[in-house]
Amino acid sequence: MDIAVTGPKIYFSFEIPYIGTVNITQTSVSLLAVTLILMIASWCLTRKLTKRPGRFQVVAEKLVTMLYGLVEDTMGKHNLKFAPYIGTLFLSSICGTLIGMTQIFRSTTSDLSVTAAWALVTTGMVWYHNIKNFGFLTWLKGFTEPIVVMTPMNIVSEIATPVSMAFRHFGNVAGGSVLTSLIYGALAGLTSLLFGWLPDAVAAVFPPIFQVGIPAFLSIYFDLFSGFVQALVFSLLTMVYVGAACPPPEEIAESKK
Amino acid sequence: MGAFEEFVGVNFFTMIFAWCNLLILYLFLKKILFKPLKNMIDSRQKEIDDMYSDAENAKDTANELKAEYESKMEKATEESEEILKKAVRKAQLKEEEILQEANQKAARTLERAAEQVEQEKKRAVNEIKNEVSEMAISIASAVIERDVSKDEHTALIDSFIEKIGD
Repeated sequence: MDIAVTGPKIYFSFEIPYIGTVNITQTSVSLLAVTLILMIASWCLTRKLTKRPGRFQVVAEKLVTMLYGLVEDTMGKHNLKFAPYIGTLFLSSICGTLIGMTQIFRSTTSDLSVTAAWALVTTGMVWYHNIKNFGFLTWLKGFTEPIVVMTPMNIVSEIATPVSMAFRHFGNVAGGSVLTSLIYGALAGLTSLLFGWLPDAVAAVFPPIFQVGIPAFLSIYFDLFSGFVQALVFSLLTMVYVGAACPPPEEIAESKK
Repeated sequence: MGAFEEFVGVNFFTMIFAWCNLLILYLFLKKILFKPLKNMIDSRQKEIDDMYSDAENAKDTANELKAEYESKMEKATEESEEILKKAVRKAQLKEEEILQEANQKAARTLERAAEQVEQEKKRAVNEIKNEVSEMAISIASAVIERDVSKDEHTALIDSFIEKIGD
């Protein structure tokens, strides 16, 4: 059995003159699928909201309350406007990871392009709000603190932030899927090793019994648990970085004196 | 087998695709999922808070009213008691007055009756006296066959009557 560690499959590609080749890959399809699933699910959920909530509404309200609570705790009350973005990011991440378990779609987060795009959005938000809140020069001056010698270090750390975020998320999900498929292959090998003495005719129809059940537990860890943790970590880091760039209005007024 | 992307690689067009998806999803979820749910939670919370404060207000008002009514009731009871007392006193006075009047009237009536009896008695005695004296004269005239002058013998007759009278 061959275990191929490859990127997303390219379904088809087309050329845009002067710009380049656009590949429609498994990732693109999965992204679209996640978007559509979340849209339809949320539309169905909030179609008939009532003051006396039904079962689904109770759960949804609990989750939204938790989200707003988390955002308030991490970023402060004045930054509650970011809660919908954080929620979207979290849902995109966890659904993007879990959609890989269907085996029809590939996890969106096991494509570095996706996590990098999300990480760059976080960095863009941090820079935008820093410049908006403190001014361009103050932001630039921030790189020379605490001492001028630290400037290269600060620039490297500024660039390393999105890179580390992107690679952390991508690595966890992609690594998990690679490990799962490796163990899947290994279990098939174990089956043929144990029952290899059987005549070829019998061995050919003998199912790889070790592949039943055991990978499920690995999947619980690598897909469910890891997917949840990475979505949480990504969202939390975004909250922390953006929150730091958006201090309470009093502090901004203080710093401008 | 078709072509594959690199396992660890960044495709700029996939990134654009991811951005577009994130943006659309963000706008959609914000409008369809987060805002309505958050509004629902907030409005429910507000309603509950309002209900509690309303209930608190109603309770305060009720307590005030209760105290007011209680004091009013107390005052009314006192007033009624006073009225009753006054009425009883008045009635007692009236009773005494009536009794006194009745007593007086009765006494007067008795007195008058006694007077009348006395007068009647006197009159009867006189009448009897006269009758007896006339009878005595006529008897005496018949006995002595001679006219007895009434005037002459009045003193005699009177003494006679005195003897048999009483």
